[in-house]
Amino acid sequence: MSEPTAETIVFDNVSKFYGEVLGVNRVHLVLAPGITGLVGPNGSGKTTLMNLVTGLLKPSEGSIRVLDLPPDRPELLFSEIGYCTQYDAFPRGMSGYQFIYSFLRVHGYVHGEAERLTWKALERVNMTEAAHRRLDGYSKGMRQRVRVAQAISHEPRILVLDEPLNGLDPMARAEVSRVFEQLAGQGCHVIISSHILHEVDMFSDQVVFLSGGYVVAEGDVTGVRTDIEENKPIQVLVRCDKPGLVATRLFAAGAAVEVGLSEDLGGLLTRTRDPEKFYLLLNDVVLGDDVTIESVSVADANVRAVYQYLIGSEGEPR
Amino acid sequence: MSPAMSDTAGGARPVASRPAPEGLFKRQLAGILRLELRRSLLGRRALGLYFLAFAPVLLIALWAATPLPQKLYEGPAQTANQIAILFQFYLRFSIYLSALLMFMSLFRNELLERSLHYYFLTPVRREVLVAGKYLAALFSAWIAFFIGTVALYLLSCVPWGLGELGRYLFRGPGLANLTAYVVTALLAVAGYGAVFMLVGQYFKNPVIPGLVIWGWELINPLLPATLKKVSVVFYLQSFYPVPPPESASGWLFELFRVLAEPPPAWASVLGLIVFTGLVILAAGWRARNMEVVYGDD
Repeated sequence: MSEPTAETIVFDNVSKFYGEVLGVNRVHLVLAPGITGLVGPNGSGKTTLMNLVTGLLKPSEGSIRVLDLPPDRPELLFSEIGYCTQYDAFPRGMSGYQFIYSFLRVHGYVHGEAERLTWKALERVNMTEAAHRRLDGYSKGMRQRVRVAQAISHEPRILVLDEPLNGLDPMARAEVSRVFEQLAGQGCHVIISSHILHEVDMFSDQVVFLSGGYVVAEGDVTGVRTDIEENKPIQVLVRCDKPGLVATRLFAAGAAVEVGLSEDLGGLLTRTRDPEKFYLLLNDVVLGDDVTIESVSVADANVRAVYQYLIGSEGEPR
Repeated sequence: MSPAMSDTAGGARPVASRPAPEGLFKRQLAGILRLELRRSLLGRRALGLYFLAFAPVLLIALWAATPLPQKLYEGPAQTANQIAILFQFYLRFSIYLSALLMFMSLFRNELLERSLHYYFLTPVRREVLVAGKYLAALFSAWIAFFIGTVALYLLSCVPWGLGELGRYLFRGPGLANLTAYVVTALLAVAGYGAVFMLVGQYFKNPVIPGLVIWGWELINPLLPATLKKVSVVFYLQSFYPVPPPESASGWLFELFRVLAEPPPAWASVLGLIVFTGLVILAAGWRARNMEVVYGDD
């Protein structure tokens, strides 16, 4: 966990209850700039966590500091936060342009500046051509892109995105993801919840795993994977020319708890509780037994695998 | 103005453009008014307002257009009484219901339509948001009820003929009475509007609070002196240019009769301003502490 600074988002023992229903419970988190993926099944508390950061909800217990400011002071904080919610709703009777422009005027921008920022945001999500069409005539993907554009239009330092890739075609998804990566590269916070695990895996610097309102793990995926290797031995896929020999040597040295040969007999999938010993032994085998290694990769140090280990397959996202 | 956002080498965070701090509050308020006036004058919200403000005018216009002999004109005093009764209905139904529908929807409809968060995510104090929404709705309702009250009044006098109408307005009490009705209508919108904006922050269904407040206003003359002041109608009584006539019959009208001695006009204006101000402050406090939880979150 990072140290709290003026650049971090800090949850200090935060709980949120909706009456008797648990939203999130006893959350301690310090989020550093970069892309943070929130992962968990429906009802795990992802949206609650995002709504707490953006002041739409107030914690029942504990406190939150965003860039060292409390989220219940919109006049201080909200020029620095953009939030693209999951709600597919807009003020009625507006075009995409009017929607973004009008709320920039509410921010306090003068006409010329609001106009410039509106076009810039629309350009970033490739929506300039449809800018003057009414929102209720947009497809789901277009509405999603316009919401993202509205969230980034005032150039926030913190961008919170609840399922931002929903409804987007692969091309738009790549474009929008690139925008998030650019912002994170510039030192912004980008907090994303997504059901598409391989995309979270691809662009997240750190991941927060949530289940039943609790944070079950957080950090970079490899680190989280390492933390749980005692209970869940790491899977390593080795592609080589003598898989049988390698398997024998690994077992004999006690460096693997399970080994399986691949169907094409061109490799083996092993499980080990002691990766350090495993890799040292693999070096010995390569040198001593003249084995040619094509590739070595950890098969389960990704968000999907960690998700399954921590949360199980129930309600597993795509 | 800060320099515009531009990409910088080495992936450093660009300097974002931020609104200039001078006059920020005014620009934010203007931004809210711009959005809200569009909705309250041109959006769906306006349909109810226009119907309630102008349907009675249309009915009176139809009445005024019918041949004279049916109207049994007995002189200005009789017409003044008729207008007093008519205005009571206008106040208690059209103005009351318009305020109910319009001001209650300021927050309630945005929660139902799931769009309130767009406002709550702007760097605007929630109290300013409340003020902006209230002022926009107030301005729209004032336009409608200014026109409605004037039209209703003049159309009621049309059957006399233009000559007599002119004499009544400019040489008699007509213009002063008209002004008093307009002031009453505008103050009523302001008072009821503030109450219903606050109520709309707590209730999703307008029917029950609408009926409860209507009942409270009706029984106002029967309440103890202190409680009387916690109502809008108490302050409006002072402005009625012609007290609703005793001869008016019917159980419904009996309910509207003012039994209490109205306070002096200056005290009423001051009282209503203080009352409205307190209610708006309460609405601001409520907005500051409001959470955005849509139905199926």
